[in-house]
Amino acid sequence: MTSLREDTPRGEPTAPSRGSPPKGAPAVSSRAHLGVWHYRALVFNFARRDLRARYKGTLLGFAWSLAVPIATLIIYSLVFGTIFKGKPPVLGNGEKGPFFVWLFSGLAPWGMYAVTLGTSIASLLGNGPLMKKIYFPVYASVFGSVVATFYQSLIELLMLLVILIVLGNIGLTWLLLVAWIALFGVFVASLSLMLSVLNVFMRDTSYLVGIMIQMQFYLTPIIYPISIVPGSLRGIPLRSIIEYQPMAVFVEMFRSLVYDLQLGRGSVWSVAVLYTVTAVGGAALVYRRWGQDLSEEL
Amino acid sequence: MSTAIAVEGVSKRFRWHGDRRDSLKERVFRGKPQHVKEFWALRDVSLEIPAGTTFGLIGHNGSGKSTLLKLLAGIHRPTSGSIITRGRISALLELGAGFHGELTGRENIYLNGAILGLSHKQIDAAVDAIVDFSGIEEFIDVPVKVYSSGMYVRLGFSIAVTVDPEILIVDEIVAVGDEEFQRKCFDHLHELHRLGTTIVIVSHALGIIENLCDHAVWLDHGKVMGLGEARPVVRQYLDAVNEDEAAQSGSVGDDRGASSGARLGSGEVRVTKLEYLDGGGAPSQVLVSGEPATFRMHFFAEEPVADPVFGLGFVHESGVNVAGPNSSRSGLSPRLHPGPGWVDFHVPRLTFQPGSFEVTTAIVHKGHVYDYAERLFDLKVRGGGTDEPGLVRLPGSWSIPDPSVESAPVGADVAEE
Repeated sequence: MTSLREDTPRGEPTAPSRGSPPKGAPAVSSRAHLGVWHYRALVFNFARRDLRARYKGTLLGFAWSLAVPIATLIIYSLVFGTIFKGKPPVLGNGEKGPFFVWLFSGLAPWGMYAVTLGTSIASLLGNGPLMKKIYFPVYASVFGSVVATFYQSLIELLMLLVILIVLGNIGLTWLLLVAWIALFGVFVASLSLMLSVLNVFMRDTSYLVGIMIQMQFYLTPIIYPISIVPGSLRGIPLRSIIEYQPMAVFVEMFRSLVYDLQLGRGSVWSVAVLYTVTAVGGAALVYRRWGQDLSEEL
Repeated sequence: MSTAIAVEGVSKRFRWHGDRRDSLKERVFRGKPQHVKEFWALRDVSLEIPAGTTFGLIGHNGSGKSTLLKLLAGIHRPTSGSIITRGRISALLELGAGFHGELTGRENIYLNGAILGLSHKQIDAAVDAIVDFSGIEEFIDVPVKVYSSGMYVRLGFSIAVTVDPEILIVDEIVAVGDEEFQRKCFDHLHELHRLGTTIVIVSHALGIIENLCDHAVWLDHGKVMGLGEARPVVRQYLDAVNEDEAAQSGSVGDDRGASSGARLGSGEVRVTKLEYLDGGGAPSQVLVSGEPATFRMHFFAEEPVADPVFGLGFVHESGVNVAGPNSSRSGLSPRLHPGPGWVDFHVPRLTFQPGSFEVTTAIVHKGHVYDYAERLFDLKVRGGGTDEPGLVRLPGSWSIPDPSVESAPVGADVAEE
């Protein structure tokens, strides 16, 4: 009926130090190690809780999740489209695309990234009291937050797709959006897990990340096309650096699929996969090394 | 019998930094934390809990009980040693800990169920039973932030016990809820016990441990002091508490004032000490249920006091005011002279059931309060071999009519049907 759930010793054996216990046996806890899949129900419940709590007490409620990106879109369109007269590339259907649509197709994935990181980085601190009362893996809390934000962003995405449909710019490449979202989701979730664990030990992380995200925005070809970046600057291959930094890659992929209606370059997809795999590896490492005893740190 | 939980050589160290380096600036400019303090909450604890039994953890505050409970629940990991559990654990370290105020009761059932490790399907199957057990059907689709604290804990308890745990870990649940709910809790714990659930309980209510648990462990400063059948372990613990308190006798004086409740009154005369005497008249830190007992209230009068009335109030650990004897109708009308003195309240048979009480003392005169020490003194009552439920043992005798004798007429009371 019940199966013996036995943990294997994890981590390094505890080094005998001052006042160490008589036995130096490796530590084994009674936690079940069931993996991410087992905790999916918890992830979605956390996500639902976050969504419910986020706009509670506001008049517009859920609409706020659209208001902010739309405001950003309008401002950037005015500044970079109208004032600086940015010229967007032609749409995948060969027509001249409005600047704001091209901008939107870059801002949408960026928003997913920035908002998700910004929100989920604090999720562990928010769940601190709970983690002292009951065991659940910390990633459940972080992933719940990521799922919640992604879910919100999907509405933004749908809005963009509707605009593109109205413009008659629709193609089979849209089907690959599913693959893109999966890849991007795993990437962002892994990054979020790493940063939120780090943030427990060093509360500055969230502020630092806030600044970095702001800088990264301008290092990502969203409001400008990559073509205006000089190929090299004093021997530094500036364009390649910008072109292949993680967010540039994911934004380019997204734009190719929905705006240009192209599959996108193979090199970009491979780099994206590489980034994602690296992020997953890094997250697993951070989780194993620092993510297991957070109940004592919070 | 198989083992549900095996704890072997478990030690737990907590560390904290004298002044935490939580921020980057501090890390960079002051380097590694200098004063890492460490503290061993548990040292080399080994025990086995057979499946289907109820196990109690006792010890004073800071003895490591709660740490052990948290290790069993998987909240913390042991520093060394191993804990192996067999079966799904449901931990009740705080009722409704995972609730979110904005979610409705029903949504919180799903959230809390998920935290307890259940899938959506499993919760679907259990949700009706949970709502039923909680007894708050009308409010189940209302955000829990509007719940009363009683409704809150009801729902929390219902979730934790209705999800069919194989191992249930409970921390001081008796401290919450009203009488009726507590009874329901205990009834359900008994029911779970009957169904073969392994239950681990931490409680300061030793009577509960004695009555509910098969086995118990007594922890002191993180070490196992006693382990085995619940009753002997509780006795052992109480004896040690006795000795401890006897060793520091005299310290139960007015220096402890203000620690528990209000200390009021004009102060012409003050209670300095409350002494408990057993049947033989010897001072004791613990009184035995069913035995004679004397409460000796020592006082000190600053000036002459005429005709004071002495009072005692006994408050059970559950918060119930059990008794409040006073000397107003005793015919006692003393004249207190400046200096120390005492007054005795004698009980031929202590009817209190085993448990912890707090004692209030009062010296008053016609509405004027000389001294009122609210719940200043602690009283522990030990079991006298009784296993009746309740706070007091009601003296009385049972009788049944002899069947050979014609019994009272019944026909008149029974309806003709």
